[in-house]
Formats: sequence, C-alpha cells, structure tokens
Amino acid sequence: MCSCIIQAIHYGTNKITKGTVKKILATIAKEWLLMRRDIAGMMLIFTMPALLVIVMSLTEEGPFKDYQDMRFDLLLADNDAGSLAQGITNGLRASKNFHIIDSLDGKPLTEAKLKDLLRNGNYTSGIVIPRGVTAEMVNAANIIANNLSEKMGLGNAFTVRPPRDTMYVRVLFDPDAKPTFKNSITFALDKYITYTCSNMLINRMGKLGNATNPTDTGVRDLKRVFQGIGIREVALNEDKKEQKQFINSVQHNVPAWAIFGMFFIVVPIASHLIRERKEGSTLRITLIPHVQIPVSLGRTIFYTLVCTVQFVLMFCIGIWVMPLLHLPSLYIGTHPEALLPVAICISFAATTYGYLVGALFKTANQAMPFGSFSIVIFSAIGGIWMPVELLSGVMQRVAMISPLHWSLAAVNGIILRNGDLHDVWKYLCMLLIFGIVAWVLSTYISTRYRSVQ
Amino acid sequence: MQATPLAITIKDLYKQYPDALTPALAGLTLNVRENSFTGLLGPNGAGKTTCISILCGLVIPESGQATVYGLDCKKDKVAIRGVTGVVPQEIALFSNLTGFENLKYIGRLYGLTDKEIKQRSGELMERFGLEKHAHKRVSRYSGGMQRRANIIASLMHRPKLLILDEPTAGVDVQSRALILEYLNEYRQNGNTILYTSHSLEEAQKMCDEVIIMDEGKFVTTGKPKQLIKDTPDCKTLEDVFLHHTGHTLRD
Ligand SMILES: Nc1ncnc2c1ncn2[C@@H]1O[C@H](COP(=O)(O)OP(=O)(O)OP(=O)(O)O)[C@@H](O)[C@H]1O
Ligand SMILES: [Mg+2]
Repeated sequence: MCSCIIQAIHYGTNKITKGTVKKILATIAKEWLLMRRDIAGMMLIFTMPALLVIVMSLTEEGPFKDYQDMRFDLLLADNDAGSLAQGITNGLRASKNFHIIDSLDGKPLTEAKLKDLLRNGNYTSGIVIPRGVTAEMVNAANIIANNLSEKMGLGNAFTVRPPRDTMYVRVLFDPDAKPTFKNSITFALDKYITYTCSNMLINRMGKLGNATNPTDTGVRDLKRVFQGIGIREVALNEDKKEQKQFINSVQHNVPAWAIFGMFFIVVPIASHLIRERKEGSTLRITLIPHVQIPVSLGRTIFYTLVCTVQFVLMFCIGIWVMPLLHLPSLYIGTHPEALLPVAICISFAATTYGYLVGALFKTANQAMPFGSFSIVIFSAIGGIWMPVELLSGVMQRVAMISPLHWSLAAVNGIILRNGDLHDVWKYLCMLLIFGIVAWVLSTYISTRYRSVQ
Repeated sequence: MQATPLAITIKDLYKQYPDALTPALAGLTLNVRENSFTGLLGPNGAGKTTCISILCGLVIPESGQATVYGLDCKKDKVAIRGVTGVVPQEIALFSNLTGFENLKYIGRLYGLTDKEIKQRSGELMERFGLEKHAHKRVSRYSGGMQRRANIIASLMHRPKLLILDEPTAGVDVQSRALILEYLNEYRQNGNTILYTSHSLEEAQKMCDEVIIMDEGKFVTTGKPKQLIKDTPDCKTLEDVFLHHTGHTLRD
C-alpha cells in the first residue's frame, strides 16, 4: 500500500520522465482504439444518459410545476353572489395559479354538484361561498365604522345588527390532495378574504370621511394606501448579475441525471477491467516493467475525458434540446466556464470508482450488480432522485457521504446560485480526494492481489 | 558443478495455493545454464507454470529462493522483467486490437520508439508468417496465429532470457516447425531459452538440456542423449520420462 503511494508520488513529482508521459499517451491511444471498436458500447455510454436526462425532465415536469407555475382548476360554488365572492375570484384569477370554474355546461355550479365532482376525483379542490356572507362582511365593517365614528363623537353612521359567527367560506379537497397543495390553496384564500374585508372596511371609512375631512393626509384613494407594503422575491446575490433562477424540472433533472449517467460509467469500466484480466492482456502488462502506474493513469485520464464529454453533451441537451420539447432551457449560471473543472472532478471520481469496483471484484457477475446498485443507492441518498431539500433531516445528513451529492452540489452552486469556483471548491476537493483514494486503492489492489498469487 | 554461468537458479521452492490440498511446488531445486535451450518437462500439474510464474514475480513462494541472472525474484522482479520475455501458457493479448496494434502498444510500454516498433514488429511478423494478418483483430486469428502473436509480443524488447510455457501446444506441424526454428536461432544469437512442453519428441530434438519435475519436485536433469543412455531400457526421452514419473494419471 505504502509502496504504491510512494511510487505514485515518485511518478508525480520529479520522475515524470518523457518515457512515462509516452506510456500514458500510448495507453490513452489504446483505450481510444478499443472504444472506437466497440461502437455499441460507446453509443450506450452516450445515448443512455441522454435518454435518461430527457425522460426524467419530461416526466418530472408536472410535479415540479405543481408548486410553481402550474394552474390548478378550482371549483367555485357561489351561493351569495356578493362582493366577497367577487373579491376572491378576482384575487385568484389575478394570481394566475388558479383556474376558477364557477359554471359547468352553462349552469352555475351548485354545492352538491361541486361535491360530486370532487368525490369522483375529477377535480382536487373547491370553494363554497355561503349565502349572506357579503352581507355579514358589510355588517361587520359597519360595526367597526360606527365604533370609530362614535369615538370621534359623530354618532352612528350606519344601521347594524349583531354579528353572526357561522359564516365560513368552506374549502373542500379531493381526499388524495397533498398537504402542501392544501396549504397553498388555504393561504391564497385567506389572503383574498382578508384583502376583500379590508377593502370593505376602507370603503365604509371612506363614507365616514365625507363627514370628517381627510384631505390633510394627502391620500385620496385609500385603497392604494397599502400597496407599497407586501412581499416580493428578489435574487439572493444582489452583487452578482441579477438572475432569478427557480428550480424546475430541467434545472434539477439535467445536472442530476447527467451526474448519475457519468457515475454509471462504473459498470463499463469495471467490466472492461475484468475482461482485460480474463483475456490475459492484464498479465501481459504486468510482465512489462515500470508500467503499472502510467497504464493506470492513462486509462483514468481517458475515461475522465469520456465522462467529461458526457457531461458537456448532457448540458448541450439541457440548453438546446429541452426547448424543442417545450421544456425550459437549462440556465447555466453567470460563470459557465467554472463548469468544466467541476465536470472534470466529477468524471475523475466516477472513473476511479469504476476502477475500484473492477479491482475489488473478481468476476463481472459480481462487479456489475455491485457497481450499478451502489450508484443507484449513492444517487438516492445524494439527492439525484429528488432535491436534497425535500429529504428528511437525517437523510440530508446522510446525503453528505454520497459523491453524487458533492457533484450535484458543485453543479448547483454554479448554475443555480450563480457561483464560481470559489463557491464550490469544497465539493471539488471532496471529489478529488475521493478519486485519489479510489485510484490508489484500485491500483494497489490490482497490482498486489489481482496480478500476483 | 556447472562450467558456464547460470541464468536461473531455484532452491527449495515451496508454494501452496490457498485452496489446494497439496503444494504446487514442494522444495523444487534446479538450475538453468546461460545460453542454453532448456526444456522443463513434467506431467500435468507438476508445477511447471507455477515455477515460471515465480521466476517473473507473478506468484510469491512461501519459502525458497529463485534468481534470474543473480536478481532475486521477490525483490528485483522489476529488473528481471526488463531482461526476461515470458510467453504465458494462455494467450495474453488485447483481443480487440489488431496484431500490429498489440505490438505497437506493448512496444511503447517497453519504451521503444515508433520507428523501432515498426521495424521490430515488421521483422517478427514476417518471420512468424503474420505479416498479412497484421491489421486483423487478434480475436479473429486462428489458434495457431494467436500462439505465434503471443510469442512475438514477448520478443519485442529482445529479452536475454526467453521463458515459454507450452508455446507449441495446439499448433499445426508447420507452425510448430516455424516456432522451433526461430527459437533455435534466437538461442544461437546468445540468448537463453527455457521452455515447457508435453511433446517429448520435440524436447528431445530441440533441447540441449532437459529438467524433469513431478509433483512439485525436481526429478532429474541432463542432456537428452545422456539421459537416455543412463536410464536402463530407454530408447527415447519419453521412455526416460515414463521411467521417472510412472504411468498413473495426474491432476
Ligand atoms: N491459481 C491456482 N490456485 C490453486 N491451485 C493452483 C493454481 N494454479 C495451479 N494450481 C495447482 O498447482 C499445481 C501445479 O499447477 P501448474 O499449473 O503449475 O502445473 P503445470 O505443470 O503447469 O501443469 P500443466 O502441464 O497442466 O500446465 C496443480 O495441482 C494445480 O492444480
Ligand atoms: Mg502449465
């Protein structure tokens, strides 16, 4: 083990002779020849991840849109036909996220029909506005206005009756609806009800205002008073070029599955290594002095390059092919040049892991299932299947051990957070250390246990 | 006592494979003279391949000593590999590369220049009748062609000592003649050859010295003619072999 590391350092420092470089280049040339011969294998290496990226982006487009710009059908049974229903519908319509359905086949929707539709699973949510709710709201506003006018010594301005407290706007959901979805609808409704109520209040106060004299405030239209207050999303890094980038299907799936595809190179690499051991060519190399390390370096460099090409290809698909499929184009941040070193580090980690699997197992029957399953597991815990943010707290910590997570975090740092190499160096170091450890181990196991008995 | 210097010395070699019942080598001792054509003979499972593998550092013995040109097989295996050419019993080539591509890659790894590689591989391919097949993939070679290519690959760096493990197994009469003729010539150029074979007739004809081993142990050695003369009722090397190793089936 130690001798292996020493030998590596020995090659790495003062002894990188012309001869060693030539041996590395010869190995790269030989790997290229072998790959070119195996057209089917080469096609698989490039087309399978490409297909994966496209399919995953397409199938996950819906779920990603759910919480963003997707429009929900929202049934509305209005038993009141007053200004509250009007306020709610106007608000929901203006938000663009909801599509209000208040009539079917030209007939206004009844409460019974609405429940039927939800029960049948045709729709996921509905609102029932009870009769008299607008009158109740007006009454409530009048009470407050009266209260105010009394305090100012003006006496009651409006006739009122005691308030009732049973006037709820009822929200109904398909039993299958997800809690997040329910929340987003209730929050939206709540907001529009409050908004309509305060508008009503302002309206009543405005009528009071005819008696008093509000001109000294300088604000004539009271409805606009609160417009400057509210919420607006802004880019996190104000200093970097402002670019609002939200996670969407393409933005998550292209890098995630590109990384998965790159790591899947473990399978062909491991079986390639095992095949060379079987056909005896490894024995031939073993019999040549001073070549273990240059040969190992040569093929690592070669497959690192192949993986990097894979990455570039996947990103090209994200940028140029996705729009053809009516998906958003992949946004690659404000420092796209930083993606190249990131891709090289990911490729290095993937390649060396492949060699490690190939060295650890004696037969392809053992190496291939282990290689593929370990990548699937690393990807599941590493946030490839769904963003790490959606995983539970424990799993978020477990994700930290997955090289696929480091890879994804590095890529996201560049393309989502508009970062550069300074922002992701930690992940690159982890990938490099993983790669170096895997390389040293695989070279050690290959020379010590796989070619000597 | 040998008059000429020794290319290989082996003393009390002992090797037991992890899950084997009996040791592959059980105290083997033998010497190979420099510039000789030596045949290492023995029944199946005698330990010939194991012995060769120890010499080139592919198998580590439990005990005993083996040297090649005075270099220790455990400590100096890298140096030994530089001066030795080993032709393994199984084909050891990249089956998806052509014959020439194999030689080019192997030559480059030995540190030869592209010019040297072109010249050496051209010369060897022609000599072994493979020049027409230089650009065909090894996987599409016939068995005999693969054997010849396997030998050529071990000759690229002009080794002083050539160790061949059954180079003539499974080849036709013409190929065999061609291989043996080349080996003889190679020996004449001042190199040493150690080879194993199950063809005793061939060994009797080719070798100036044979070593017979059985069950991991040295049995006898000598010039074929001398051995035949010294063993009672023996007319051929095969008789000598059977006399020493018996008729029971091995393996
Ligand atoms: N890798 C191995 N693992 C376990 N046992 C082995 C291994 N290689 C060889 N052996 C055993 O060691 C003994 C010697 O084998 P070896 O291959 O050296 O014989 P050999 O003389 O070359 O035989 P052959 O003429 O058939 O090639 C045999 O009993 C064989 O079964
Ligand atoms: Mg053998």
